[in-house]
Amino acid sequence: MRRSQSLFLSIVFITSTFLITGCGHKKPAEPQPGGQAGSVSSVPPGGENLGISEAGGEHGPDFGKVDKSQFQADTVYFAYDSAKVRPGEMSKLEQIATALRSSNSKLVVEGYADERGTAEYNRALGERRAQSCREELVRLGIPAGNISTISYGKERPADSGHNEEAWAKNRRCEFGIASQ
Amino acid sequence: MKSFWFSVFSLWLVASVAQAQVNVVVPGAQKRSIAVTGFAGDPNLSAQVADVLKNDLRLSGYFTIAPSSQAEFVQEGSVRIEGKNGVIECTVIVQATKQYALKPRSYTGSAADIRRLVHKLADDIVAAITGEKGIAESQIAFVLGRTGGMKEIAVMDYDGHNARQRTFDKSLSMHPRWSPDGRRLVYTSYLNRFPDVFEVDLFTGARRRLASWPGLNSGAAFSPDGQLVALTLSKDGNPELYVMNASGGGLRRLTYTRGGESSPCWTVDGRNITYVSDDRGTPQIYMISRDGGEPTQLTVSPSYNTEPAWSHPPPGSKLPSMLAVTSRVGGRFQIGLWDSNTHAITPLVADDADNAEPSWGPDGRHLVFTKTRAWRPRLYLLDVLTQEQVELPAIEGGASEPAWGP
Repeated sequence: MRRSQSLFLSIVFITSTFLITGCGHKKPAEPQPGGQAGSVSSVPPGGENLGISEAGGEHGPDFGKVDKSQFQADTVYFAYDSAKVRPGEMSKLEQIATALRSSNSKLVVEGYADERGTAEYNRALGERRAQSCREELVRLGIPAGNISTISYGKERPADSGHNEEAWAKNRRCEFGIASQ
Repeated sequence: MKSFWFSVFSLWLVASVAQAQVNVVVPGAQKRSIAVTGFAGDPNLSAQVADVLKNDLRLSGYFTIAPSSQAEFVQEGSVRIEGKNGVIECTVIVQATKQYALKPRSYTGSAADIRRLVHKLADDIVAAITGEKGIAESQIAFVLGRTGGMKEIAVMDYDGHNARQRTFDKSLSMHPRWSPDGRRLVYTSYLNRFPDVFEVDLFTGARRRLASWPGLNSGAAFSPDGQLVALTLSKDGNPELYVMNASGGGLRRLTYTRGGESSPCWTVDGRNITYVSDDRGTPQIYMISRDGGEPTQLTVSPSYNTEPAWSHPPPGSKLPSMLAVTSRVGGRFQIGLWDSNTHAITPLVADDADNAEPSWGPDGRHLVFTKTRAWRPRLYLLDVLTQEQVELPAIEGGASEPAWGP
């Protein structure tokens, strides 16, 4: 009971700390069809292929295709919840760096997480894995400007199984050459 | 009409339920009983309207449906079709006094959208009897699974009906968040290969690419006044927290760490942003001023806390703003409430499933979340006061990452 009182007080404290501001919620009058449970209407308002406007700012590169065949054997794997490149994986990055040093190719590093984790945290984790690989590649002499990172979070697993063997294969970075 | 003491009781209930981590169900006396006697008119239409209304009143958390002989309130009404329109007339009477609890009201709108008329009626009944804002007219955005591992953004009524796809990119679109006026969604999409932040206008379908810096652009969330967007960018190295103008431009970096920052969520006053960082090892919840500065660490245990979500109670609500988080305990995900006093997290939804992705409803009392068993996520509503969970109808293709809108 004493703990409930303290939580009660703390909740009151939260209320007084973060003053409630009215947002003036207006009810949407979005057009919509009458719907059955389960089925999803796919009638877009304004048509499917409306153009997309830009809010300005700097953009990442605009690649055509990414060819991952060259570095298929060089996928780097990670420990659970870690973005650190393990010593045993370093030789893969050295091979990639050797292959890239002679060319001026643009490298794409794709970071992935296993399915055990919340979605947005895994997107950040996948990005940190890709960035760890990029840092090592830069140390090995590849210009940072030639390396782009993409995090897929827990999307697109390499192995769709739900066990430790599959998860170990899914905590990874894949590498590809971009054609501009 | 709701008394002060009921409010105090509600607060106490949140506290005790959260602390006791048992399935306390509010005594029947807390809920008011109402008889839905139905709607005179075409039998099929009448039955449909009555079913939607009963479900709405149950889901509001304030009512139990009872036979007329045992009910405190009695609903009466009629329904008819006039051309393309449906017309619902309804009243609610206090059984003991024969006074109106809801004076006779008429609702007219497209017959195809008759559920929407009933939702409006349900919210009017909730407001008339309890003085509180209902949830029946609100919408939930979510990520819709499509074949080939594609994901699109979709929107549905809060009761899981009337789902409408809102992106058609055959790509990965995720993490939808509402503008406070309910008109737009921001979300993350891989439409241009890289994860960028987009905005879609739900009325016109018009879209805008809001952030497409090199690396990760994700986790966008509107400020309560709709003027700013907080988001995660990795353009300067690892994923860090930023704020930008919702109209574009005005980018400001808030965090400077060696870890990753993600999942920004605004406090009700719009002055602070709560987020996840694993800078000190495992993911924990932090808070920082929207102007930057020194962050405050809110959670220390368990070892994995993510997906912070502040409730934004409507103006006049007696409920406090509460912080829900997703924690991992014993290899399972559970939803808990953060206690600002002890900095501990008290379990709210903890069972043999993985419970995650909490998003508060506009009443500040209900949550929508995903419950995953055998790797199949289902959307559930939770009444934080009564602890009652209701599974929403399954969505063809699968639904995840729900975001409850106004």
